[in-house]
Amino acid sequence: MTGHPESGVLAEYQAGLVTGRRRASIASHLATCDRCAGLSDQLGEIPALLAAAPHPAMPADVARRLDLVLAAEAAQRHSSERTADDSPEHRATIPGPRRRWDFRLVTQRILVPAAAVVALAAGGFGLSHVIGSSASSSVAAGSEAAPAPSARPANGTAAARSEAGRPGAVPAFETPARFQVVNSATNYLPATLRQQLETELQRHTQAAAAPQVLVSGSLKGCVLRVTHGTRPGTLVLVERAHFQGQPAIVIVAVSGHDRAAWVAASGCSASTDHVLATATLPGTSAP
Amino acid sequence: MPATDGERPSDAELLRRHVAGDSDAFGELFRRHRDRLWAVALRTVCDPEEAADALQDAMISAFRRAGDFRGDSAVTTWLHRIVVNACLDRLRRRAVRPATSAGDEQALDALLAHDPDPARATDIRLDVDAALRMLPEPQRAALVVVDMLGFSVDDAAAILNTSPGTIKSRCARARARLLPYVAHLRGNRSASQRVSPAQGGDT
Repeated sequence: MTGHPESGVLAEYQAGLVTGRRRASIASHLATCDRCAGLSDQLGEIPALLAAAPHPAMPADVARRLDLVLAAEAAQRHSSERTADDSPEHRATIPGPRRRWDFRLVTQRILVPAAAVVALAAGGFGLSHVIGSSASSSVAAGSEAAPAPSARPANGTAAARSEAGRPGAVPAFETPARFQVVNSATNYLPATLRQQLETELQRHTQAAAAPQVLVSGSLKGCVLRVTHGTRPGTLVLVERAHFQGQPAIVIVAVSGHDRAAWVAASGCSASTDHVLATATLPGTSAP
Repeated sequence: MPATDGERPSDAELLRRHVAGDSDAFGELFRRHRDRLWAVALRTVCDPEEAADALQDAMISAFRRAGDFRGDSAVTTWLHRIVVNACLDRLRRRAVRPATSAGDEQALDALLAHDPDPARATDIRLDVDAALRMLPEPQRAALVVVDMLGFSVDDAAAILNTSPGTIKSRCARARARLLPYVAHLRGNRSASQRVSPAQGGDT
């Protein structure tokens, strides 16, 4: 070095991390070198510059989602105060191994020979107001032991079964009305997915005047993730069914003028989804 | 700095009520600080999706572990610590998979889309946020907590679970790294045009 300290050294000097003779030598250098003194001044202004940068406001959808998650937590705490499994460490910050966030569409990652989730975004329905707000898989884990599914196929299957088998065991979410999860024997097939969905929609779309929330944590998180980008208040059907013989969950929501369908594996949660198939349906005869 | 009107319960009081079973207290505490918590999450992970997920993890964790809060730090420090840890947790997991450049664009988009007042200082902020993305994550986290959020070095050390010396060092190196990208924001200094600082220093 030719006597000009690097900016990193100057920054450490300013932070008091340089001591002794080195500090003295930098100090005397700064006293005589305009270049380094100017650099030092600029470095010193960075904290103020950063402090002046305004904080981005939390987006409204994130705020709403988190409000609902906390409301769900409160309701769950209220209803399960007597249950012992309310361990505070339930994956609150450490949500399981290898959870992934590549939640975008249709990756056909059939990792799980398990149940699937069919999500259908239905265009043109002005129907219900499911707040597709997610309870994360953290909530899911706390409430119904549906663990990170992608990494554990066996668990994913088991969790899906137990979830389907005991819908009543899910902690209640009381404040807004429940969005009814339909249990159906329908076995969706790729070739007939659209027709089946049309039929199912006619049978089960739920018109709702008030905000509704999904009860099940993992299911709710899944819906939010799978229908990502769909505005809240557009979900009209969530159904436990089958896809190609495997237990499945069907989700229907309003989205623009078309209706889009997703089929995802059952382990789907707020943070992972396993979309097995999707379909787009033309806008239907709106109610 | 949490303002406390005469009317409003303090953060600590809200947390106490929450632990005592008040079902609204935690939500109020969260709403009181959510923009700052959002800012730290977004700037730590640089991806609005992950920031939202991390914040959700963190808030659930805080909700459930509120009883562990000992009052030896401010509630905000405690909250930020949980949020930052949730973010770093995500970053660690993200590190094992390929980086997505889409995240950066989304972060920018989100910032643009949700700015309540787009005219105000947008240029500065975008520059700052873009510059922050150049930093290694530990440096970025330290700088966000200290310089942007105004926590003391000691509080930042508690939040980031490291030593004050490490915080100082990370901040110093981060500032040196940022300098080339933000110097122009202080437009009135001719020196900023003239001087081209040594790239990066060490890492």
